[in-house]
Amino acid sequence: MSNIQIIDGEFGKRLKLHLAPSIKAGFPSPADDYLHDSIDFNRDLIKNPESTFYGRVDGDSMADAGILDGDIAVIDRSIEPADGDIVVGYVNEEFTIKYLDLSHKADGYIELRPANTRYKPIKIDDGDDFEVWGVVVWTIRNWHK
Amino acid sequence: MYGIIDCDNCYVSCERVFRPDLNNRPVVVLSNNDGCVVALSNEAKQMGVREGTPYFEVLSQFGSRSLSVFSSNYELYGELTGRVMSIIRHEVPVCFRYSIDECFVSLDGMEHIDLKSWGENLHRKIRRCVGMPVSIGLAPNKTLAKMASHFAKKYKGYRHCCMIDSDAKRLQALKLYPIDKVWGIGRRYAAKLKLHGCNTAYDFAARPAGWVRHTFGNIVIQRTWQELNGEDCVPDEQLAKKKSICTSRSFNGMVADLETLRTHVSNYAVRCAEKLRAQQTVASVVSVFLTTNTFREDLPQYWNSCELRLMSPSNSTTIIVQAATEALRMMYRPGYLYKKAGVIVMGITADSPIQQNLFDVNAGRFDKMKRLDAVIDRINKVNGSETVVLGSQQYTRDGGRGKAGTFADAIRHNFRSPSPTTRWSDIISLK
Repeated sequence: MSNIQIIDGEFGKRLKLHLAPSIKAGFPSPADDYLHDSIDFNRDLIKNPESTFYGRVDGDSMADAGILDGDIAVIDRSIEPADGDIVVGYVNEEFTIKYLDLSHKADGYIELRPANTRYKPIKIDDGDDFEVWGVVVWTIRNWHK
Repeated sequence: MYGIIDCDNCYVSCERVFRPDLNNRPVVVLSNNDGCVVALSNEAKQMGVREGTPYFEVLSQFGSRSLSVFSSNYELYGELTGRVMSIIRHEVPVCFRYSIDECFVSLDGMEHIDLKSWGENLHRKIRRCVGMPVSIGLAPNKTLAKMASHFAKKYKGYRHCCMIDSDAKRLQALKLYPIDKVWGIGRRYAAKLKLHGCNTAYDFAARPAGWVRHTFGNIVIQRTWQELNGEDCVPDEQLAKKKSICTSRSFNGMVADLETLRTHVSNYAVRCAEKLRAQQTVASVVSVFLTTNTFREDLPQYWNSCELRLMSPSNSTTIIVQAATEALRMMYRPGYLYKKAGVIVMGITADSPIQQNLFDVNAGRFDKMKRLDAVIDRINKVNGSETVVLGSQQYTRDGGRGKAGTFADAIRHNFRSPSPTTRWSDIISLK
């Protein structure tokens, strides 16, 4: 009598493999030298997922910069804020989106400038406990409701 | 070289990411159901608030205006700490997360760089990118690394990173470190060590090896002693998976009848089973505890717990719930008003291969239940938690308002913050 052990196959999992260029006789196609992944917004637009946060624009204080009420802002906290960047700051217990103006730093203050003449710049003195919360890297607007 | 990276006042720091106005101000986070304080800021500690204080006491002692109060928001805490762990993973060869706010890292092969300033930079990076302050301890073994992280947290001069890299520093640290804070020494052993005159880590480390073996005969304690003396011997498996998983809550009000208790306990058991499956482990023991309100001295008091060993280790919702409700039935006594219950699963091991018990006649059901759990997990993940529940999970007492209403009322969280990293509806508003 022989012992036969029946082993169940495990076919539930699939291993993903890149498609290799097809094997042909003759000259290889130059296009086969490059394999391209599909465009992926998560990968291509969000460079630092760990430091990326989202915010929704409320109001028209940045209208002349093309940022409108309801737009979604992609905010990256890993970026060192520079003069002229559009940033998110926390002022008077709310988040605000404005241009960062460092041109008066030598005079002891910086400004958060709106892009709308109906709003005034927010002046922040050296001594104020202020930190740029993050730098805006993209804004997204939906056109097809 | 090892490192331990520990989020400072983790839950409070998470709340402050989206509320920078609360920096440098007293903040407390309450347990599930807003029962008592589970986390607090240094400022709240200085006011005299302590962990574990019931919320009503905090309220009567300090008033609601002097400190900011939050219900725990694990959705937010889990997401933000996940980001912290992800940053750390990019920086080190081996990263091992062993609780929501702590991880061990192995720095093998990084000894050629200045690790102290590497640690200071890592703190700055995590602070900048996620908004979370961390403390970093670096040392030749895990026990000393844990000790170093404590010093990094306590003394500002370390700039969030303390490294024990010489015998002189090790001995100095041991002398300053109370025995009951040493990692791996539980409350019971600390008391015993104090009886033997070991009040600091140094006192314990200075004892001869033979004395330790003779007095304790416990491998964990012996390893701790060796590590305090500079050896590297605590295996990774010792931190591997959590040794037990506990889900417990105070009830919203008091509960007398078995049916309602069974519903609560079923829900806690389901949560334990989900956690087991999420970390691909199985448990062999299910324990349930039950207690009346110990603050109400005017009422009759009863406290009990009951343990059941499973025929085969399992992470199946059905099996864990069955065991938990059985344990509850065995210790339930009528005539008391109960305030709190909990389910603890223990004897946790890796998911496969599971040792099937020879006498477990239901072995064949195992595969079916595994598939059922996988389907339920998937549905609840896609459609929101508790879309599909067991019959025993449903709160029927209030009746008539459907599942959603009764579930929403089951847990109190009056001060819960939004979840800006996991829900589009909660993302921050930019003026």
